[in-house]
Amino acid sequence: MNDHRSVSIVMIEDDEGHARLIEKNIRRAGILNDISHFTDGTTALDYLFKHADGPALNGPALVLLDLNLPDMSGTDILTKIKAEGSPLRRTPVVVLTTTDDKIEIQRCYDLGCNVYITKPVNYESFAQAIRQLGLFLSVIQVPEVEG
Amino acid sequence: MSGVVLKRLGAPEGLARRFLVTCMIVGFGALILATAGAAWVTSRNAEHTRSVNHTYQVEVAIAQLRGMVEQTETARRGYLLTGLPAYLDNQREAVVEIGPIVYDIAKLTADNPRQAVHLADLRRRLADMQQQQENTIGLVLSGKRGEAAVSFTGETSARRLRGIRDTLTAMSAEEHRLLTERDAEQQANIRAFYIILAGAGVLILLVATVSIATVMRYTKDLGAARDRLQLLNTDLEGAVAERTADLTRANDEIQRFAYIVSHDLRSPLVNVMGFTAELDAARASLAELVTRADEAAPGIVTDEARLAATEDLPEAIGFIRGSTQKMDRLINAILKLSREGRRVLTPEPLDLAEVAGGVRDSLYQQAEQRGAEIAVEQPLPDLVSDRVAIEQVLSNLVENAVKYLSPDRAGRITIGGHARGSRRIIEVADNGRGIAPQDHDRVFDLFRRSGQQDQPGEGIGLAHVRALVYRLGGTIDLSSTLGEGSVFRVNLPATLAETGSQP
Repeated sequence: MNDHRSVSIVMIEDDEGHARLIEKNIRRAGILNDISHFTDGTTALDYLFKHADGPALNGPALVLLDLNLPDMSGTDILTKIKAEGSPLRRTPVVVLTTTDDKIEIQRCYDLGCNVYITKPVNYESFAQAIRQLGLFLSVIQVPEVEG
Repeated sequence: MSGVVLKRLGAPEGLARRFLVTCMIVGFGALILATAGAAWVTSRNAEHTRSVNHTYQVEVAIAQLRGMVEQTETARRGYLLTGLPAYLDNQREAVVEIGPIVYDIAKLTADNPRQAVHLADLRRRLADMQQQQENTIGLVLSGKRGEAAVSFTGETSARRLRGIRDTLTAMSAEEHRLLTERDAEQQANIRAFYIILAGAGVLILLVATVSIATVMRYTKDLGAARDRLQLLNTDLEGAVAERTADLTRANDEIQRFAYIVSHDLRSPLVNVMGFTAELDAARASLAELVTRADEAAPGIVTDEARLAATEDLPEAIGFIRGSTQKMDRLINAILKLSREGRRVLTPEPLDLAEVAGGVRDSLYQQAEQRGAEIAVEQPLPDLVSDRVAIEQVLSNLVENAVKYLSPDRAGRITIGGHARGSRRIIEVADNGRGIAPQDHDRVFDLFRRSGQQDQPGEGIGLAHVRALVYRLGGTIDLSSTLGEGSVFRVNLPATLAETGSQP
């Protein structure tokens, strides 16, 4: 990624265990960027758009998004991020979820998600997938957020 | 339901039948009685006619006799008066006639003792008269006409003749009396016959009336029962439609439920798997540490610690992994099922023979390996349904049949079918190992299997088939004998209604 210090990773994942596993494996891939973790949609949206340290007001970010959240669907967050006029519309969103339903995948890409990854249940595959995601994150360019 | 109707119809049917048979027996009895009466009366009539004839014969004979007697007497008197031989001839002719006539009368009246008495009297009188006549004629012949005339005047010839007449009249009267008696008897007989006839007629009329009434009532009952049955039938169709709708709704509900559950089950499973792997990684470093410690300072590591790091922990982790993987397979199965259940059905006209042929071809290799033969019966009915769903149903059933063949004989699997009204019956029959009766319902349940578990599988095939069949508005059942084979029978609507997309 552009700059390890400036691009923060926003992880929206209601399952603490998953979040921990994801973080561990991303770190194992050598990614040292800040990871902010949110377990529900409301606080995550608040951070994304309004928080002083959040990406809308403070530099580029990358969003790791789970679709099954307790208070809203991940697609709602995706819609808000990718909405016309949203300051975060160019922010890369990686959907990382258990659902591998074709319709759901299509819908996410239609809404503007950049990558869709199904969490493999097999841990080896899961760990590997996250590590590869980490490698992927380390090379992609993230656009600056428009002011 | 139809059983109850039949039972309700059954009782009066038996009763009515018995009653009608009784009526017919009574009716025929009356007819036989009337016929027997007629025969009896006819025979009596014939007898009566015979007796009337008899009487007339007797009367005619008596009249003849009377005539002859009168003739002899007249001829004698003529001869006495004139001495002409013509009178004598006349008398002789008449006398000759008398004997046979009397004999006839005797024969005719032999059965009547009264007439016998009269007859004896008559014979005596006739002999007497003849004697007298011979005397007179003898005298005349010998030329003593005067003496003859004197003798004639002195004799009691007129009185004797009157006696004969009276006897004859009495005999005639006797015959008349008999005739009158027989007439009366005949009248009585005819009266009896008429009474019998009337009785039989009334009986037949009664039986006929009652029979007709019963038949009409029975027919009415039958009509009512038929109407009821028709109503029931119509209701049944409605009930089936309602039931199918219920099933579809319940099925949809289960599909949604399964989808949600399986998704939510998957998340914790990722954690279990993930942290088990973390645990394993941690154990590996610990095991390495234990080994190193053992080498560096033997005795520092307890047996327990070594055992935990090298055996207990790997074993526990292995079990956790195995179970989680199994659970993952099951969840994937449910997910697959629920995803199939959410697929939009697109009804199209299908040639079942072609679909079955396709299924046969796709499973040909598998069947070949196991030495089984798949046959598609011809002809198979057409139907309008979802091609993919029908294919899945058939291939699941056939695949199951191929999987659970009997080792004792060459496998033979038949796909058959026929139309029944607005339904299409598809049958997949095999000569495999069969399913125990207690498992007939169970095999359709998710994750349930039957018999020897020597084939891979999670127990979702038939559950999937049943879910599909329900979605297609049909039903599925099976008949099977353990060790002989099974028949799976799918009952589908001929035309699947367009239901639109599922939620």
